[in-house]
Amino acid sequence: MNKIKKMVGKDLDLSILVGLALLVLVTVAGAFGGSMYSGRNIQSMAFQIPEFGFLALAMMLSNMVGGIDLSIIANANTVAIFTAYVLNGTWAFGTEGIARVILALIVAAVTSLIFGAFNGLIIAKTSAPSLIATLGTMTLIQGIGMALTGGSSIGDIDPLFAEFGKSVVLGLPLIFWLFLLVSLILGLILSLTGFGRKLYLYGGNPVAARFSAVNNEKMSILVFMATGFLAGMAGLIILSRVNSAKVGYGDSYLLQTMIVCVIGGISPNGGKGKVQGVVIAIIMMQVMSSAFTIMSLSPYTKKLIWGIMLVLVLGLNHVIAAYSQKRTLKQSMKNLQSAQ
Amino acid sequence: MTKKIDQFQKMLLIIIVIYSVFVSVKNPQFLQVQTVFDIVKTSSTTMIVAIGLLVVMISGGIDVSFMAIALFGSYTSLLVMINTGINSLVFAFALSMLIGTCLGLVNALLINWLKLPPFIITLGTQNLFHGIMTTFISDKSFGSGVLPSCLHEFGQGTLFKVATENGSAGLTVSLIPVLLAGIATYFVLRKTMIGRGIVAIGNDEESARRAGFNPFKIRLFVYAYSGALAGMMGIIYAAQVNALYPNKMVGDELMVVAAVVIGGTKITGGQGKIFGAVLGVLIIYLLNSTLILIGLSSSWNNLFVGAILVIAVAVTSYQERVKNRSHLIFTE
Repeated sequence: MNKIKKMVGKDLDLSILVGLALLVLVTVAGAFGGSMYSGRNIQSMAFQIPEFGFLALAMMLSNMVGGIDLSIIANANTVAIFTAYVLNGTWAFGTEGIARVILALIVAAVTSLIFGAFNGLIIAKTSAPSLIATLGTMTLIQGIGMALTGGSSIGDIDPLFAEFGKSVVLGLPLIFWLFLLVSLILGLILSLTGFGRKLYLYGGNPVAARFSAVNNEKMSILVFMATGFLAGMAGLIILSRVNSAKVGYGDSYLLQTMIVCVIGGISPNGGKGKVQGVVIAIIMMQVMSSAFTIMSLSPYTKKLIWGIMLVLVLGLNHVIAAYSQKRTLKQSMKNLQSAQ
Repeated sequence: MTKKIDQFQKMLLIIIVIYSVFVSVKNPQFLQVQTVFDIVKTSSTTMIVAIGLLVVMISGGIDVSFMAIALFGSYTSLLVMINTGINSLVFAFALSMLIGTCLGLVNALLINWLKLPPFIITLGTQNLFHGIMTTFISDKSFGSGVLPSCLHEFGQGTLFKVATENGSAGLTVSLIPVLLAGIATYFVLRKTMIGRGIVAIGNDEESARRAGFNPFKIRLFVYAYSGALAGMMGIIYAAQVNALYPNKMVGDELMVVAAVVIGGTKITGGQGKIFGAVLGVLIIYLLNSTLILIGLSSSWNNLFVGAILVIAVAVTSYQERVKNRSHLIFTE
């Protein structure tokens, strides 16, 4: 018991999150029983998590440096459109079969990195607030996709690529394993490398980081490139699952990614949060989404629930932060008294 | 300092003029009175919320819930009018603006309590307001037959008419609320203590606090003001469309934010001109309605708006950065 108490005290946010996730899982199980946790439903949830999960990871990175990236969904869709053009042969340059798929992957990686670097360059070189800079690039990237497609969806892609979204390894979808692998790598980078340390410092206090020999401009460009790359991967997964790409797919994800980040313990002011928190929050969110689907709620009601959740979680975080600050203060006062 | 902003607006004006000349050379249809009046009519509603948003952005905040507020206010008050049979334009505006003010106050209270980026909070309240309205009030659509007749008269009303080849074209009466909102905002920002306070907390909240301004009260005013203008806009929009849908307007917020930023407003607060915001809205609507005239489909719209927005953001932010760096101020 004491051990648990110690663990809870060590990381209050994460413990609350785990508790909350368990509560959601148990409540949903109680309400829907078998239909919720049948093998089929778990597998279908695992199919849906990655596309949303990658977007949430992208949002997490941009939130960690105290910014926000509104362009992730536009980025994902436009990368998907580019890739779809390669895969259906319009831009294939005479490649066939596996070579075409590899070309498509290269195109996806390059375009997503370019979009991300463009964001990063504007933010780093002109000190524009990321909210407005990415609002601009969001409109621009969406515009590129729109001008290319005229709003229609691009389908008829190589069946080899579509296999990738459907294949199952060890009972779970391949894309789900990919998502876990990428989150693991991201978590290791953030907690173990110098880049991760610098990222937290830059997010927490950019001015202090600048005067501590952190190259802010380089950091900002790298972070937004990583954000763009993650969004591009989300685009690939969307393409492999839906088998077509179009502008405006998944617009409602923006709010949900932000909710996931806030629930997962990422501070929108930057410099705080861990990948594992976000991953738990993503899974919790998917379980709730599935529950809503089973209950067949109207989109309006879903909107209401997401809105309430965001405001509620922000409020709760605020109260918890105030409480833990008070506790730390009390503790240090006690230490001071006992020392005297 | 003021000179620099005026230069920016001059640039916008030049862009508008050059573009208009280009369009009218390519397609003389653009020069018809009807086309110009149509652009004015469709952009008039957006101008009102853009002015409200401008005030919020000068104070250093941002509001993306105003469209949900506009919908909430207009939908609720028109529903009340339909159910009770009240047929008065004054009542519609009064109730809608009252609701708007209350919802704006909710925004301000949340932002002040949580001390988090206003974008995230108002994104939450946007969904919250829209969800509350559609879940607890009603989510039915109303056609022109059921709406109060005064609304239709207002929506179709014209200030004056100009005779053209195919009938006559009238300048919409909705321009009067735009002018009223503009003048009121100018007066508040320039001639009152609270307006000076808005600019002050936009520049530096801590300095403003030490100079004796109360940021909380100013924030309450700013978001309530934006909410009231949104409520007004909702009624005008419903009057122009002459129908009431529970899913219109919401989703266009970011376009208005883009318009205000294109108008030269500083996103970090403390600077911004009403005329600039109006020009920004005009540019977007001009592109919206003339791309077809020069032979491009409307799918090119976002590409142009995005390009203009990125350039405007880069230019204003870079000027600010150069100025800050020369004073050894580091914001990041």
